[in-house]
Amino acid sequence: MASIVVVDDEADVGDAIRRVLEHSGFEVRAVNDAEAGLRAIEERPPDIVVTDVIMPRMNGLELVKILRTRFPRVRVIAISGGGSLGIQTYKPDAISTHAYLAAVREVGAQEILTKPFDMDELLAAVRRQLPN
Amino acid sequence: MERVINSLRGRLLAVVLLINAALAPLLYLGLSRIVEEGYADLFVNSVRSYSRMVADQLEAVPSQDFAARSQDVLDDFAVSGLVVFAQIEDGTKRVRSAVSQLPAPGRGEDFHFHEHSDQAYYISHSVKRDDHEVVLRLGFDETPTLEQIAAAKRRVLAAVLAFALVSTVLAIALSRVIARPVVRLREAAKRIARGEVSTELLQHSSIAEMRELSHHLEHMRRELVGTSERLQSEIREREASEGKRLELERRLQHRERIATIGTLAGGMAHEFNNIMTPILLYSQLALNGTAQNGALASDLKRIVAAAHRARSLVNRILTFSREMDSQEARVFTLAPTVAEALALVRAIMPANIEIVVDPLEDTPPVSGDPGQLHQVVVNLCLNAYHAMRVAGGRLTLRLGAAEHAGKGGARERYAMLQVADTGHGMEPAVMQHIFDPFFTTREVGEGTGLGLSVVHGIVTSMGGSIQVESAPGRGARFTVLLPVATALEPAATDVA
Repeated sequence: MASIVVVDDEADVGDAIRRVLEHSGFEVRAVNDAEAGLRAIEERPPDIVVTDVIMPRMNGLELVKILRTRFPRVRVIAISGGGSLGIQTYKPDAISTHAYLAAVREVGAQEILTKPFDMDELLAAVRRQLPN
Repeated sequence: MERVINSLRGRLLAVVLLINAALAPLLYLGLSRIVEEGYADLFVNSVRSYSRMVADQLEAVPSQDFAARSQDVLDDFAVSGLVVFAQIEDGTKRVRSAVSQLPAPGRGEDFHFHEHSDQAYYISHSVKRDDHEVVLRLGFDETPTLEQIAAAKRRVLAAVLAFALVSTVLAIALSRVIARPVVRLREAAKRIARGEVSTELLQHSSIAEMRELSHHLEHMRRELVGTSERLQSEIREREASEGKRLELERRLQHRERIATIGTLAGGMAHEFNNIMTPILLYSQLALNGTAQNGALASDLKRIVAAAHRARSLVNRILTFSREMDSQEARVFTLAPTVAEALALVRAIMPANIEIVVDPLEDTPPVSGDPGQLHQVVVNLCLNAYHAMRVAGGRLTLRLGAAEHAGKGGARERYAMLQVADTGHGMEPAVMQHIFDPFFTTREVGEGTGLGLSVVHGIVTSMGGSIQVESAPGRGARFTVLLPVATALEPAATDVA
């Protein structure tokens, strides 16, 4: 049974993803920030990490970078609904959402999903990243 | 009345009249005196020489029969005109002309003409006889001379009055000549004061000072009118530019408002995307565990459909806020946008690439789309990253201001963005093509080859330029220059 770690600062989002994935038979651990996610991964490396990009303290990009060096075999699905990495005067828009997801792909995420996504889109992405 | 006295002509006339009033009596009195004295002297001299002549004749009368003979002499003289009294006194004897009209005077001799009011002038003369002296007494009529004097005085009076009259008339004429240009100047000045500034002040006067004065005044008027016209046109220009400024300010405010709405919409969209995710996932999950034909499934499908609609609405809002931004160019400074892009870049860069940022001092404002600039920075940094991804290195980012000759040759100010790497660098042949679309040196699947051409397109559309300095093994340095937005002037091409 494949193992998945879900990282999202919004508990509602993380729980919903966990429920969907559990329902499809995956073993899921959901956490609310990148540090907790890292700890969970170190404890027991999963097959897949589903992570938000824009998060307080450590953001998804940094988490993915660490995973790429320390856990190169873990597959990453990045999810984002846009936003800003913290500059107050900067205005998030369709381009910036795209820019974050492009950036996270650049650092090594295999899949990117724009929030909100359908259950089927999530499951399809997960299945693509699983070894047959 | 006071107006007349205080007017220039009134004053001039008053002066002449006062002079006349003082001068005419003096003139009259003086001339009368001269006339009087002349006539009196003439009278006295002539009567005295006349009486001497009589005395000489009497001296020649022989002694015998003196009384009768002298009577004849006296009568002869007495009838001949002025003599109105003739008498010889010899001791107690008196011989008197028969024609004497006057009684014997009670006095001896007159010294001055018209000394007494009897209108007679008496002279005594001693006449030598053989052994003794007799006294000849003559009286002359003063009346004709008095009449002559009176007539002469009348003539003098007439002359003085004529002089006064003529001088007054002349004074009136002169005062008109002097006052006329002054009066005209006053009228012209009044009209100018009323606003008819084109009224000419130049006066044709025979008086040189008047002419000069009016000439100078006219010169002054033209200067003033010119100055006033210049000031008025300046005021009109100011008003026009003030109107333009207000219009620009209004547009800027409008744009700021739109930008604020855009920022709010962007932030809200992000929140909404997060909220929509569990709604969509839970309802689809619930739908999966329900009999597909039941009422619950139908309700859940409606939730899913509504969530899809909400998702597309949020996407439209994000696209809209983005379009709003690119439609109307904003005036912004580079630092905040670059800082945001840098946050992204820092996250991307692996540990073997050091990022050096010269303090992000804010640059002069530029005009354009901050989102596009964000893309420029990210693309340039990614390009640098690709050049260094194998060997590692240092990425240097710098902001500043630059100045160089613009199209017209005049110095123009630019905001400068510089991205430098210590990567593998480029051959000149490669450098020629780096901004071409789809040109790439990366392995297939590593990049689209659109990054630098997009950068070039964006920078050019903002009216800026991009330059690259590089050599194989020496890294590369990209310098982006963006024209400084003038105060409130939006980039004309974006507005039009």
